[in-house]
Amino acid sequence: MIVAKPHPIRAIAVPVLTGAALAIWAFPVLWALLTSFKTERDVLAYPPSLIFTPTLANYHDVLFGATSIVPNLWSSVIVAVGATFFTVVFAVPAAYALARLRYPAKRASGFYVLATQMLPPVGLIIPYYLVLQRVGGLDTYFGLILIDLTLTLPFAIWLMVSYFEDVPLEMEEAALLDRAGRFGALWHVILPQVRGGIAVTTIFVFLNTWNEFLFAVVIGGNRVRPVTVAMFNFMSVEQTQWARLAAGATLAMLPVILIGLFAQRHIVKGLTVGAVKGGGRR
Amino acid sequence: MSADATTRTGRPGNASRGSIRLEGIVKRHGATTVLHDVDLAIEPGEFFVLLGPSGSGKTTTLRILAGLESVSAGSVTMDGEDVTTTPPGERDVAMVFQSYALYPHMSVAANIGFPLRMVKVPAAEVARAVEAVATKVGIQHLLARTPGQLSGGQQQRCALARAIVREPRLFLLDEPLSNLDAKLRLETRLELHSLQRNLGVTTVYVTHDQEEAMTLADRIAVFMDGRIVQVGTPREVFATPQTRAVAGFIGTPPMNLLEGVWQGDTVTVAGHAFPVGAHAAAPRDVTLGVRPGDVRVADGGLPAHVERVEDLGDTAVLSYRAAGALVKQKTDRTVVRDGDDVTLGFAPGSAHLFDRTTGARL
Amino acid sequence: MATGAAARSFEAQERRFALTLVAPALVLLLVTTTAPLVYLLWTSLHRLDLGMPWLSGFAGLGNYAKMGSDPRFWNSLGLTAIYTISTVVAQVVLGLGVALLVLQIPKGQGLLRVAAILPIVLAPVVVGLFWRTLVLSPDVGLVDLVTRTLGLGSHNWLGDPQLALISVIAIHTWQWTPFAFLVLLASLATLPPDIYEAARLDRAGAWQRFRHITLPLLRPAIVVVVILRMMTALSAFAAIFAATGGGPGSATEILNLYAYRTSFSELNLGYGASLAVVLMAITLAISYVMFRLRRSRR
Repeated sequence: MIVAKPHPIRAIAVPVLTGAALAIWAFPVLWALLTSFKTERDVLAYPPSLIFTPTLANYHDVLFGATSIVPNLWSSVIVAVGATFFTVVFAVPAAYALARLRYPAKRASGFYVLATQMLPPVGLIIPYYLVLQRVGGLDTYFGLILIDLTLTLPFAIWLMVSYFEDVPLEMEEAALLDRAGRFGALWHVILPQVRGGIAVTTIFVFLNTWNEFLFAVVIGGNRVRPVTVAMFNFMSVEQTQWARLAAGATLAMLPVILIGLFAQRHIVKGLTVGAVKGGGRR
Repeated sequence: MSADATTRTGRPGNASRGSIRLEGIVKRHGATTVLHDVDLAIEPGEFFVLLGPSGSGKTTTLRILAGLESVSAGSVTMDGEDVTTTPPGERDVAMVFQSYALYPHMSVAANIGFPLRMVKVPAAEVARAVEAVATKVGIQHLLARTPGQLSGGQQQRCALARAIVREPRLFLLDEPLSNLDAKLRLETRLELHSLQRNLGVTTVYVTHDQEEAMTLADRIAVFMDGRIVQVGTPREVFATPQTRAVAGFIGTPPMNLLEGVWQGDTVTVAGHAFPVGAHAAAPRDVTLGVRPGDVRVADGGLPAHVERVEDLGDTAVLSYRAAGALVKQKTDRTVVRDGDDVTLGFAPGSAHLFDRTTGARL
Repeated sequence: MATGAAARSFEAQERRFALTLVAPALVLLLVTTTAPLVYLLWTSLHRLDLGMPWLSGFAGLGNYAKMGSDPRFWNSLGLTAIYTISTVVAQVVLGLGVALLVLQIPKGQGLLRVAAILPIVLAPVVVGLFWRTLVLSPDVGLVDLVTRTLGLGSHNWLGDPQLALISVIAIHTWQWTPFAFLVLLASLATLPPDIYEAARLDRAGAWQRFRHITLPLLRPAIVVVVILRMMTALSAFAAIFAATGGGPGSATEILNLYAYRTSFSELNLGYGASLAVVLMAITLAISYVMFRLRRSRR
């Protein structure tokens, strides 16, 4: 679709409009980053100061101050890593069976997985709250990771199905003839070929669980308080401390931003695969 | 014919290994039957080709031999042992896939050694065997590469090596040459042939290319519509096709088939009587078959109009319009040109007669 | 004779292996999604008010009957419709527009792709907080800076009911348009260039090429984007919760937020559950229709 002779109007409009899109998407994020290095007084200056003396005081505060977010970061790490681990461990084998093997009620089970993906989180949080409250599961990592699985497992299964389907059928057959057995075929031959898919799935599940808020704010408490909840609480308590909020948010979002930047290609692929194939063909 | 095949092939020591028997094999996919009552007996050391058009059931038969497909009825026996329900890995058979199915994440060496590693052969022994087999197929210098870095021909050899390394009792090859370019295909065909002779392992080879079948096979089974219509040596299949369908499939170009009426010693096609060297008492509707190589330009024959001359240099294929049908002649002497009108005949002994309704050879 | 035996071996073995692999995930989904769903339905049939526990008990369809005369429910339903439709339409139109634009620029595609990733990877709650403070707050927020520079004056973006609704729609659109953009860009990149060359030879203008080639070829991708964006919009929560909390009043209280506030702010879990059930029924109905639509378009 390369345009042979750009129209003069187009020659100007195209860069300007794409530049605008770039600015609109990137600027709020960069602005927040900038703000995190300002003093609270600079934040409220009008007109806003682009030139100011940067300070690390906000970071010092949110890391080592009274309302340090370090415990919250830990909380997020435990929840996200735990949920990601269990999601991948359960999703990958199930997706392989759904994509490749013949077994009774296969279509029905595939449809069931898809249907569970449609449940709105607010519908799940009420029964979880009632049950976990009764069994002492509120404010536990177990409870939060368990409910996070409802968010990630169906999606991960369907994402992995589309990756398994891309592996040629002869791969298993060759492996079976080469005496690998069913498990050996999966372990030695198929899984290495879907490593990319497992990486994409891991990234998506991690992003989703790291960013999750609704479940965390209801199930969590003083012990289990991921950064998303911490940021929200910070805002409610210290309404005007924007620079510190920006510093905290920068730290809280640093892992996902880094993943976004370094795994950009994977994320786009996952979005596309998920969109074009995983959205449920059955 | 099977005795013939055994004496021509097979090394001592392998003679007892690799005898394969299919009995009454039926394969259904839901309502459709893809194999109807297939029987086959393959002798140890034989190079056996399953030939047929696509969808004729030859690949399904191969996959049943591999254990990759179950049967709806019938039994598979290997060396006297019923393996009908034995899983693929326990049948002692190796297969080369049309796509080669090389493991893309493993080196060539790891690919070749894979079937040995899977049964816990010690690493040193695996390395030795891989080296030896790779040398045999001429890819010993490529062992460290991955399949993606190999040419098509090299990939094919790698797949072959992976099959050979385990010394199975049976090789299954599914159109292994179809992904190679024409020149390489001819070379590889010859190498494959001598390799099989060398190893003496029973080989079942699926192809739709009859030239491959003719040059490689000790015996051929011709598949049509889920049935085996003929089993025989290449010469037998070529010289005495058992049905009209086989006649129309084998040969380049295939046999000319003309509708006629057989009475007495002649078959009458479009008002012209040909002596066929066989006698029918009562008039009978038949299909007269003549190999393009047996067609002659002869006085007093069937009037024909030359539609096209395809000169291949040493031979030529001529297309005639005669008796409302297309008749092909293969000759090494071109005496006619486009647009000529000639008359065609053939030696009485070269006629093949098939029943018009059943298609069976008469 | 071998039929039974064959079934016993290869296929039976495959079946056993498949069930071993798939059963754990299915059991887990059953426990984590279906069992809670049943419990949700059960709860929605009860009066369960943690503020007034002495009134708890079976209520039949009472909670559902109550919705009929609950103006806040109808308000939230209408807001859900407005929010979902406007965000999805905006995302697809803007995403497609930017994708088409980006294809015209020789350099800098990568940069825009990176910029597009940023909103997607951020936590919606953090996005809501960003917008509430740095972007939309009166006087010092980015938007107010722009409007004041342009002479449009300062506005209380999140304090005014109408502006607040527009604002939360804008927030959602800002965060998720990149998704539509990236997916549509990827789909556009897969369209064969020779079709365009052929169309050009057939003297199709730019608009005709878009209308008769790009759009039909892109339709499957667009439909999928619409489905997925709809699901996200229907379960949107954190960004609105952080930016407005559903307010002012109930100006931005979509059904999702209403169910949450009823359950966890007012602790009326029975009624909250019935609202969640309604939301779920709407979600399932829409996805069913969309999937049917998608299949019939194929």
